[in-house]
Amino acid sequence: MAPLVSGFMLAVLFSASAKVITSSDQMCMEKEANKTYNCENLGLREIPDTLPTTTEFLEFAFNFLPTIQTTTFSRLIYLTFLDLTRCQINWIHEDTFESHHQLNTIVLTGNPLIFMAETSLNGPKSLKHLFLIQTGISDLEFIPMHNLENLESLYLGGNHISSIKLPENFSARNLKVLDFQNNAIHYLSNKDMNALEQATNLSLNFNGNDIKSIETGAFHSKVFQSLNFGGIFDLSIVMKGLQNSTTQSLWLGAYEDTEDQDLTPAMLEGLCELSVESINLQKHHFSDLSSTTFRCFTRLRELDLTAAHLKELPSGIEGMNSLKKLVLSMNNFDQLCQINAASFPSLTDLYIKGNMKKLDLGAGCLEKLQNLRRLDLSHSKIEASECCNLALRNLDHLQYLNLSYNMPIGLQSQAFKECPKLELLDLAFTHLRISAPQTPFQDLHLLQTLNLSHCHVDTSNQHLLEGLPDLRHLNLHGNSFQDGSISKINLLQTVGSLETLILSFCELLSIDQQAFHSLGKMSHIDLSHNNLTGNSIDALSHLKGIYLNLAANSISIIPPHLLPILSQQSTINLSHNPLDCTCSNFYFITWYKENPQKLEGSEETVCANPSSLKGVKLSEVKLSCGITALGIFFLVVFLLLFTILFIFSVKFIFRWKYQHI
Amino acid sequence: MKGFTAAFLIWTLISLNGGCSQAWPTHTACKDGSLEVLYQSCDPLQDFGFSVEQCSKQLKSNLNVRFGIILREDIKQLYLDITLFTKEESILSYSYPICEEDLPKFSFCGRRKGEQIYFAGPVNNPGFEIPQGEYQVLLKLYNENHSTVACANATVICS
Repeated sequence: MAPLVSGFMLAVLFSASAKVITSSDQMCMEKEANKTYNCENLGLREIPDTLPTTTEFLEFAFNFLPTIQTTTFSRLIYLTFLDLTRCQINWIHEDTFESHHQLNTIVLTGNPLIFMAETSLNGPKSLKHLFLIQTGISDLEFIPMHNLENLESLYLGGNHISSIKLPENFSARNLKVLDFQNNAIHYLSNKDMNALEQATNLSLNFNGNDIKSIETGAFHSKVFQSLNFGGIFDLSIVMKGLQNSTTQSLWLGAYEDTEDQDLTPAMLEGLCELSVESINLQKHHFSDLSSTTFRCFTRLRELDLTAAHLKELPSGIEGMNSLKKLVLSMNNFDQLCQINAASFPSLTDLYIKGNMKKLDLGAGCLEKLQNLRRLDLSHSKIEASECCNLALRNLDHLQYLNLSYNMPIGLQSQAFKECPKLELLDLAFTHLRISAPQTPFQDLHLLQTLNLSHCHVDTSNQHLLEGLPDLRHLNLHGNSFQDGSISKINLLQTVGSLETLILSFCELLSIDQQAFHSLGKMSHIDLSHNNLTGNSIDALSHLKGIYLNLAANSISIIPPHLLPILSQQSTINLSHNPLDCTCSNFYFITWYKENPQKLEGSEETVCANPSSLKGVKLSEVKLSCGITALGIFFLVVFLLLFTILFIFSVKFIFRWKYQHI
Repeated sequence: MKGFTAAFLIWTLISLNGGCSQAWPTHTACKDGSLEVLYQSCDPLQDFGFSVEQCSKQLKSNLNVRFGIILREDIKQLYLDITLFTKEESILSYSYPICEEDLPKFSFCGRRKGEQIYFAGPVNNPGFEIPQGEYQVLLKLYNENHSTVACANATVICS
């Protein structure tokens, strides 16, 4: 019995000690020394003593602080950002932040607040951002208004607010963001809106409120940065309600899970009476789509019709002369010409991303868009056997073209002749059919960035990149080279102005010593995720001060004569290589430890060999190669012993000899 | 000595229990004659609630689901990764954007860390017939920083 009892006692003792260990394990994470700490999800009931007084940013979400008061944060007087999301706070007592003069952001999202004392937010000299999302507020009088005159953003989403009327003593002078998402606001009156009159450039968010009416004149001659009425059932309410107002951007989109009425030309009539620069109507359905639907869109600069179930845009839309940006992504066009681009002669930006059907580029569909600067046709299932001069006819000013994530595209020589001013061309993940010796990018004199990642390009075509005198950034990620090697003569020889070169995931086994010789301006080379060995470093001997990524290759030994090449670069990543930590790599390991400031990813730079050091960080390896002090000591002792033995034996021989004379 | 061994044993048991966070219970998302869907949260921090309105072999398109969770991250951008396994072998992997900055598909897009979400509505899925068998499905919801928003290990039993 006795052993059982003592066993139990011991068990209790052990388990107690185990608990102590786990709680001391739960430490805040230091993100920036003495400044930024993350203590989230630790179930803490107070501010840990381990946090330094100098803490400025404190992420303290998902802990347990039912009451906060003067003493709670009193030690951390330099706080500027305090996140108390979901800390189960019920009470915020008097003068909780009285000594926190520098505090500018308080996040109280998701706390079941019962009461905030009148002076609970006093103290901060310039409180700028206050988050009171989902705190159960039903009346704006709940918020203590004494110290909010510097407030720039107030987030009140997910509460039970039905009236936006702010208390009379609230000063909206500095307010830029007022967010009422997901409340129960059904009605906006003149009086409510007048309380916001002091604010300039205000962004007002009513997303997810079922607004049923707006008093006539509520927005009369008011100016806003942005207004959001997302998910509203009847758009004409907003259109009428916003009469004579001015706003930079108006968000009126619908959602998958909200109900909305089909947009009729009559509903959009109200747009004639207000001044808007940019409008978003995502996910709506248009009924009777005709050129008159857009009668009141004449002053618009940006129009977003993402996923608006469009099969075509009507021809002959009049008055959209000043439209600069048009977004038609996620629609159902069969042919590019169906957007009837001629209606938008001033367009500079056109986005047709993620078309739901296979998009046929047609011929000259965008030729009237002479001012077009940016064109995004990515993810649109485009397939073309011969691209792109016919499709991009007359786009003289195009600077940015995105054709990434499409179906196979065939390119001939001078495939982008129609857009000579291209600066960025993105073809990533689009299979390119280019037969050698075609030069598809010929004469793109201004092209700076070319993304050819996963394009299956024929890298043995030495002329592929011909005619790109100004190319600075080239991404060849995921393409393969003949025999897994970049030879002395290769496609990079024509792009001498290159600064960034990405050759990751190219299945490379070797790089010729002369392969990069024509590239003298390089500052960034990514050779990660290949099968390169240490000898490939030789190809970089003429480069200085570059960022070099050699992560995830097959480097095990780096010979001593290559170390000066590494020394002349600014940052090197050698992580995830099967590095050798035996004496045959002694010079490299010594170099590695002497240059920690040059190395990136040193946490993942570990030994693979010998097995006793497998997984050990290279920075922590201690090698003893050659004769060590201990070795010398033993050698000396051995020699000493040998000399003594020799003397003794000589003596002995002589004695023996004399005795026998 | 005997006592010490016993103590050690008990201690190991207790510390094992306390050391590893307990697995969340397995819930039933739906159960009908021919189809049963079970799930378990694989987010060590929290459980979540999920149910499907209709449960049949012939899966309807645009299913209605109910979903309740506390957000531990902002979801201005939200992505879903689905991996389907049968007999431990991955047969299908799929990634789908739910919320993007230029296309917030659902009304809950853009909600913030700490908010409690309850969603009841259609999910815009295609309709298809589920072949007989048992499937393992790993679902992961994450935001632009690859921080986990929700994680579920689901089992679909179709007979």
